[in-house]
Amino acid sequence: MKLIKKNLRLAVVVVCCLLASLIIYGAFSLGLSGNRWFSSSVNTALRKVKSDVLPGRIYDRNGIPLSGNDTQGNRLYHQDELTRRSLVHAVGMKDGTVKNGIETFMSYLLYAYDASYLSRLSSAFSGRMRSGYDLRLSLTHGLSRYIAEQFPQGKSGAVVVLNYRTGEILSLNSFPNFDPYAAQGVLSDPRKPFINNATQWRSAPGSTFKVITMAAALQHMPDALSKTFTCEGDYQVGDVVITDAGHVSHGELSLEKALVVSCNITFAKLALELGDEKLRQTAQAFGLDDHLLFSDLVVENSSYPAKNRIAKEVAWTGPGQSALGMTPLHMALVAAAIANDGVMMEPKLLLQAVDANREGKAQISPVIYKTPLTVAQSDILAKAMRQTVVSGTGRNAAVSGLTIAGKTGSAQIDGQELTNAWFIGFIEDKTLPYALCVVINDAGEGSRQAAPLAGKIFSYINSMR
Amino acid sequence: MTERATQQNRWLALPGMIFFLLAYALLGLKQADWRGFVMAAAVPLIFFGVIVILPRILPADRILLSLVNFLSFLGILVLYRLNPERGFGQFTNYAVGMVGMVGCLLLVRFWHRFKWTMPLIILASLAFMALPLVMGTVKNGAKAWVSILGVNFQPSEVVKVSMLLVTSFLLSRRLVLPALAFAGVCLGMLFLQRDLGTALLYYAITLILVYVSTGSLTFLALGTLGAGAGALVGYQMNTYVQNRVKIWQNPWEDPYGISYQVVQSMVAMVNGGPWGTGLGLGTSSVIPEVETDFIFAAVFHEFGLIFGMCVILMFLLIFLRGVGIAKRSRSRFHTLLALGCSCFIAIQTFVIIGGNINLIPLTGVTLPFMSYGGTSMVCSLCIMGLLQGVANANERGLEEDQLIAMLGEDNA
Repeated sequence: MKLIKKNLRLAVVVVCCLLASLIIYGAFSLGLSGNRWFSSSVNTALRKVKSDVLPGRIYDRNGIPLSGNDTQGNRLYHQDELTRRSLVHAVGMKDGTVKNGIETFMSYLLYAYDASYLSRLSSAFSGRMRSGYDLRLSLTHGLSRYIAEQFPQGKSGAVVVLNYRTGEILSLNSFPNFDPYAAQGVLSDPRKPFINNATQWRSAPGSTFKVITMAAALQHMPDALSKTFTCEGDYQVGDVVITDAGHVSHGELSLEKALVVSCNITFAKLALELGDEKLRQTAQAFGLDDHLLFSDLVVENSSYPAKNRIAKEVAWTGPGQSALGMTPLHMALVAAAIANDGVMMEPKLLLQAVDANREGKAQISPVIYKTPLTVAQSDILAKAMRQTVVSGTGRNAAVSGLTIAGKTGSAQIDGQELTNAWFIGFIEDKTLPYALCVVINDAGEGSRQAAPLAGKIFSYINSMR
Repeated sequence: MTERATQQNRWLALPGMIFFLLAYALLGLKQADWRGFVMAAAVPLIFFGVIVILPRILPADRILLSLVNFLSFLGILVLYRLNPERGFGQFTNYAVGMVGMVGCLLLVRFWHRFKWTMPLIILASLAFMALPLVMGTVKNGAKAWVSILGVNFQPSEVVKVSMLLVTSFLLSRRLVLPALAFAGVCLGMLFLQRDLGTALLYYAITLILVYVSTGSLTFLALGTLGAGAGALVGYQMNTYVQNRVKIWQNPWEDPYGISYQVVQSMVAMVNGGPWGTGLGLGTSSVIPEVETDFIFAAVFHEFGLIFGMCVILMFLLIFLRGVGIAKRSRSRFHTLLALGCSCFIAIQTFVIIGGNINLIPLTGVTLPFMSYGGTSMVCSLCIMGLLQGVANANERGLEEDQLIAMLGEDNA
């Protein structure tokens, strides 16, 4: 009998833990992802809420109204067409034409779903429609409009500009865009303008990925900086030959120099020398393969290729080709982490939510998402990226009076005549802590197409202050 | 039973009575249904009768009785709100279950007179388990249903009750191998019926009871490994299981297809928020099988997160109260039986609520006392009857102790 009662304890503890885990997991998962579940299109209850509540207004960071309501309850957007177009993906539309825009993703706040019973009761008795919370976003409508104006006509792509110290997003542009006042036929448009290419589109990021390969070398290869690499102009791996743009041979070069001139062969060799596993480790430290559950926006998960690959695929991953899938927003975060001493901040769109009495309902403070690099490693990478803009492939992004660091990329996509032009970069200035990612699809080289646009954006930001 | 003991915890009935009075009156108003008002009057009275008066006639643990009845009537309430006919059906199930509970209480209480039935119970259990294989109907991927004389029921649910009796009885006589053989045969038949959720419960309970009665950590480790291996084999062999695991890993991959049910359950919970949508104002009927597998999501939706967590806490309290009864019991049989009953209800609760909130893959077991279903309701209450029987025996033992203390050992 005594034995039995002693043995009881273990069984009781285990079963208690099981039941307790229900409570902990239930509360935890609701807190973490509740907002996502609530705003998903699967939620049929949301339709009823939408008919009962007047949605709150949306402002940009300077208090310029982006969305509001007229007296009939129709949703109004900014008066300028180009501004409307430039913001349509970030702000979204009330009817959910753009998936996961603020209008739908933040419906929890816009329709004041957490309002107290008291306010629900009083509106039920007074017969007045309840109104939701007003939101102030981190976006600036001026910069968004400027980017939409400068982006090459007819091309698809995306631009993300964010503050690398706080993660606040200044501009989130996707192309092609459309006017929310003329959204008929958008859903059947073969160019899919309703998709937010900055957050929902994933692709191989080309040579911009070399900063991650270089970070892997700094982390896993003690002699990476003192080593000399040789580029013969072509490099055979299995049945493929890796070459550089224009078939140039860079000869002997250091790691930093290899990034500055964007030498494919050096980075292919690095990838093979490091091995798939080490490279994957560093990539995952930057958030690849992670479930991106950001509180303010829905971002497709970026992915590093599957395990057990043959050598030629590993080799092509070093310069950012192969089956890598990254969103422009995520590449902007990579640049931001290098700029911010190796600390990657969680991207934020919402600065503040207030109810009808101007009482605060949500105030977002900066959150660290990951710390992929040490300060020393980020300094080395930043220096190499600065040199890239001074004398390397990123020269077209240079702005006089600003210290710019960056990396270009030209991603080859099967079935496409021209490469996708990429540029990631940032301003090295305490008062202008901004990083960006520019992608122009089917446009040519990153150095000629994306870098100049990045330069224009940097000088526009400089003129804003 | 002293007068004092029957006076204890009488007030536990009051909050439940007020709760159900208000809730049914509210639903009666909302649905403009006179039956709601009848229930508003009847349920608090029945609640009072079962919790305050019944233990005076038949000594039982009043705290346990209150918790179980509160959950049962909460289930009936939510079912009535979702579908009045089912609410009344469940009420009938509850009434039958209470009779079963009293029957089981008396069976344990007068076990010394019924011991001779054990071989019959074992044979009947095995025969029952085999029934679905002979004449079963398939429902939700499991061939676990049988219809006899127009009554549909799940033999595996009924055998839950006898399985607890048989396993505790055999183990109390240190007949470990026969107990394992019995469990093995039952599990084999459950696998053939593809009723994997119930198989999991049987397995866990046998494992716990054998460990507690023998104290063998080796057996516990082997048993846990065996469960892992069994799960792997089940996963490899059964596409149904593979689908469930796939849904569990990422329910949002196909929210309108295979994972519709789980996603709707999650959405219903978040729609409830901390305080719920309010009784009668929810939309949880969009969840398929809401009345059986997803009753917890419906409660969560209309009563909110905090209330939902309290429901889980109530199951935890039932478990702890049961463990207390096991600890106070005076024979190996009683200890093992009380522990088995408590663990069965607790683990079943974990498996189904865990499936509702997507903590573990969904398996089609019912939520004790709350899910719609005659067999499940009756058998859950019968298991509580076994537990109450042990509690009753404990009280009697205590009286004898007092008598001995008063009169001295020789005169008692």
